[in-house]
Amino acid sequence: MNGLSVNKKSETNIKLPLSFIFFGLIAFVVSQFIFFINSDALTNGVFRLPEILMGAHFLLLGWIVMVIMGAMYQLVPVVFLTPIWSEKLGVVQLIITTVGIISFSLLLGFNISIAVYGAVILIIGILLFLWQMIMTLKGQENKNILTLFVMAALVCFLITISAGLALSWTIGFGSSINYTAILHSHILLGVAGWFTLLIFGFSYKLVPMFSLSHGFKMKGSKWAFFSYILGLVVLIVSFWLELPALATVGWFLLWIGFTCFCLDIIEIIKKRLKRKLDRPFIFSLIAIGYGWLIHTLVVIFRIIGIHQDGIWGWMIFLYIICWIMFSILGYLYKIVPFLWWTYKYSAQVGKGNVPLLKDMVNEKVGVILFSLFSIGTFGLAFSGIMQVSIAVQLFQGLMLLTSIGYLVSIVDVVKK
Amino acid sequence: MSIANQVKEALYSVIDPELGINIVDLGLIYDIEVNKTNDVFVTMTLTTPGCPLHDSIVGGVESAIYYINEVGKVDVQLVWQPAWTPEKMSDQAKAMLMG
Repeated sequence: MNGLSVNKKSETNIKLPLSFIFFGLIAFVVSQFIFFINSDALTNGVFRLPEILMGAHFLLLGWIVMVIMGAMYQLVPVVFLTPIWSEKLGVVQLIITTVGIISFSLLLGFNISIAVYGAVILIIGILLFLWQMIMTLKGQENKNILTLFVMAALVCFLITISAGLALSWTIGFGSSINYTAILHSHILLGVAGWFTLLIFGFSYKLVPMFSLSHGFKMKGSKWAFFSYILGLVVLIVSFWLELPALATVGWFLLWIGFTCFCLDIIEIIKKRLKRKLDRPFIFSLIAIGYGWLIHTLVVIFRIIGIHQDGIWGWMIFLYIICWIMFSILGYLYKIVPFLWWTYKYSAQVGKGNVPLLKDMVNEKVGVILFSLFSIGTFGLAFSGIMQVSIAVQLFQGLMLLTSIGYLVSIVDVVKK
Repeated sequence: MSIANQVKEALYSVIDPELGINIVDLGLIYDIEVNKTNDVFVTMTLTTPGCPLHDSIVGGVESAIYYINEVGKVDVQLVWQPAWTPEKMSDQAKAMLMG
């Protein structure tokens, strides 16, 4: 054997990623509670109310961003074979970001005119995270397409928070900037840039790993990357120059990118060795299907001229929940058991019997929760678009209860 | 039984916790060498580079070998070349995965 030896410690202290993840889970429940007590606003399609902005930022920053940060502290070292640059910085970043998210979200809800102060704390936390990740990725010996996806996602995240700060500044102190263009760029780069590019990148690693796929080519990955990036750029230009026709081209480019990604995932799944896939992982795969469907609907809506704000608001909602959040919900059912298993049982491997990763989590409960999330989401979107107040409240109540159930199911993992 | 065989036997107890299959049947063990002072040198791989179970499995291999009385030092080298392929799995492992 003359292969290159690669013995390197790659595990992060699990307290760090788990702290991010558990804060995220609590923020998830808080966001669902805020939406539940403000379900009238959801029914009327009024998404820019302070309370809805507060709930949305608890959801996007508190839940999704924090969980992603936690997952990255665990995944980046193992996927890119490079240790986290500074775990101490990670702890400092966790504290600052937590304070920033709570203060910013609460200020958005209760005193929006001074929300900029919360935004500043939050941005310091996020900048520390970006610095941490850039320094960590710099240590990667062999850069690949995954590095490109993650780096591009981090750049999108940086622009997103800069735009967010500009929006908060404008609300607090006023300015002559193009508020609508910045708002649209903020949403696009935050949701489609940062979240989607990151899920693309990690899915290219996690999907083959969880399905034990072999012999796939990932031919579409470069097309997916460049088409999606180009689509984002074209859309931002269309927002600033107010060119609707250009926006249609931008959405179409995003669709091409997403389709290339989907075709790669289909190939990976076709070439898998593990016939029976874990159910939470299947849920993440279904989320990819939802993502493609939403991209397709967006292009169709643009072409046939559906421009109502309410419908586009619900499309963004479905994009965030069905594609981004469902992906994360599924992956988290793999990541948390792994983290806890590593902490509790890793040192016992080779010494005695240790449980399997799938024994760490109750898959049957997971299937029920994932089904309830799906029913809640589609019920909410449908009743919201139809403006049926009682149904919106009912389905949002279901989302709240299911989010609590999900939190409890993850807490159960760390009791094993 | 020779120490090399005892080592191989011991490695059957190291189970990949994601797949539920031992690392010998998975074809992850490329080579086992034992020198005159009973130091053991294992060359192995994982199913994919960047496997999150990297440290756990390598540590498990070391632990399992140290359980053998006569063994001196243990050196586990993780390599990516030659890359793991499904053909390296035993028939039993294939049946468990694909059955």
